[in-house]
Amino acid sequence: MATLEAVQYKSRTRTLVTVFTTIFLIVYLIWTLAPFLIMFVSSFKDLLEAFTLPEIGDFAGMGVFFEFTPTTKHYTELFTERNFSVYFINSVIVSTGSALVSVVLGAMAAYALSRIDFKGKDHVFFWIISTRMAPVVAVMVPLYAIFRNLDLVGTIPGLILAYTTFNLPFAIWILKGFFDNVPYAIEEAAMVDGRTRFGAFMEILPLAAPGIGAFIVLCILFSWNDFLFASIIGSGGAKTLPVATRELVTPTSIQWGKIMAAGVITSLPMTLLGLLIRKYLVTGLTMGAVKE
Amino acid sequence: MASISIKSVWKYYGDTPAVKDLNLECLDGEFVCILGPSGCGKSSTMRMLAGLEHITAGDILFNDKRINDLPPKDRNLAMVFENYALYPHKSVYDNMANALKIQKVDKATIDKKVKWAAELLELSPLLDRKPLELSGGQKQRCAIGRAIVREPELFLFDEPIAHLDAKLRAHMRSELKIMQRRLKTTMIYVTHDQLEALSMADRIAVMRDGVLQQVGTPSEIYNQPANQWVAGFIGEPAMNFLDCSLTESNGHLHLSHNAFSFALNAEHIAKLNGSAKEHSQVHMGIRPEHVTISARATPEHPIKGEVLVTELLGGDLLVEANVNDTRVTIKTDPDYIADMGDTCYLGMDTSRWHLFERESGVSLI
Repeated sequence: MATLEAVQYKSRTRTLVTVFTTIFLIVYLIWTLAPFLIMFVSSFKDLLEAFTLPEIGDFAGMGVFFEFTPTTKHYTELFTERNFSVYFINSVIVSTGSALVSVVLGAMAAYALSRIDFKGKDHVFFWIISTRMAPVVAVMVPLYAIFRNLDLVGTIPGLILAYTTFNLPFAIWILKGFFDNVPYAIEEAAMVDGRTRFGAFMEILPLAAPGIGAFIVLCILFSWNDFLFASIIGSGGAKTLPVATRELVTPTSIQWGKIMAAGVITSLPMTLLGLLIRKYLVTGLTMGAVKE
Repeated sequence: MASISIKSVWKYYGDTPAVKDLNLECLDGEFVCILGPSGCGKSSTMRMLAGLEHITAGDILFNDKRINDLPPKDRNLAMVFENYALYPHKSVYDNMANALKIQKVDKATIDKKVKWAAELLELSPLLDRKPLELSGGQKQRCAIGRAIVREPELFLFDEPIAHLDAKLRAHMRSELKIMQRRLKTTMIYVTHDQLEALSMADRIAVMRDGVLQQVGTPSEIYNQPANQWVAGFIGEPAMNFLDCSLTESNGHLHLSHNAFSFALNAEHIAKLNGSAKEHSQVHMGIRPEHVTISARATPEHPIKGEVLVTELLGGDLLVEANVNDTRVTIKTDPDYIADMGDTCYLGMDTSRWHLFERESGVSLI
């Protein structure tokens, strides 16, 4: 059996490559994590303190950045004056709702595409993913017209539907790979054991669980972070966190402290969710991709 | 328990027929093997019995009840799949209990039955394991356990021991036979391994290219093959076939090969029953164990040949000899010593030979 370890021999180039890779990764880490750090720290600062910065090149003065009296007033104001609890709940309902609808319909469609041979199956399969090829902006105007005529603009079901149109093709594509990897004989065994055709499908669902779990998370992430759909189709009654955050920029003032706090509120749940299911996410996504 | 009757059943995949006009009866409590090479339609037959494939034409009856349109769950049968098809996410216990759980049997009864099956199959210490943690033989026993806890009317076994190593396979053959005799459940067992069929079955149905060739007890299949194909398929090493013709001289019918000629006795002629005439082209078939070999010409060993190769199989010795450009395999005891190129003399047990029509392969004697 071959090991997964790549064989490497020492040489001057090798050492140089290692040094440069390490430097690159350090810079990259600062580049990606610094904004989060600044956002997090600033959300506890008063406006004046938030803009107290050291001179350019004055690395010794970096300490200024951490000299402040912590305040939670931005957070309390968001929830007391700005209805953020409502927007937070909206975000949760819309993203999980769309994920659940997509996964239920997607699993059934993917299963059918995986198990049944019918004429033009390849075309149907391609057509499903082709709906994701157009940029969202391109379909926004017609979609808005349709949703307005159906009175779905500004409603939570409307927003769930909008996200589902984008999540469903993705669900079908990811989940089909998982069902392809489940031997059909297991379903046959289930049917002989006394299950109906649908019962046999339910019996093998746990085998696709890593895929379903990974997919639900990706769906939630997409809907949770989305701004475009939320601002156009959800505007009014179904405001989500990103849209509410945008509204903190008013013609008269930019409320930096609240924007930072809102950023923390928006990104924290997803970070925690990501850490929680990190293991499944990786196995889930690779398992479907690699045929055994 | 169930008696099975398959009546004029056809199976088509698209335009390709897999099973052609199959008629087969299986008595209550009988162990029937469907034997044939891959692609002969034996698995299709089994899948039609299980309800996993539609029956293109014909009827299948369980206890005189037509089951063509019943889904698998309503047929009260249990199947063991070639690749076991265990539920990978369930423990051995849950794999075996699944069917009973679906039937909503109460927990105490399920527990009792699963423990009984586990005891029978020596799986008791492994009940908490997942299929991934089992060896091939254990997986296979788990699959059998899943079938027997249900106490169904019919067992369908689809080459269940094909993937085991030779020693375990031999062990499982006898185990399965004992188990079936004990449970007295009707069993249909599909295999391509003639040894499994000969050693386990009450009756064997031999299939080829979707057509049933012969149904009979193992001894009937072995000793009285219906045609040349069955004769060649059953038996290891395979039966020798020699191009012969029937000739007449001095009022006697002779079987003539370019190396020898035998007069047919009255019994042979009675069996032929006028079906073969003079000059008929036939194949003489004789099993390697019914050919004898000697280094010297004797009245019992009149046919001269040349040793090509010898193979020692432990208790037996196989000799391949060339008789006037025809290859003959002989099974003898290892005392016979010969080198390549040695002259040898063969004798044939004329009571154990077979004659097949050369064109059709139909058995004449």
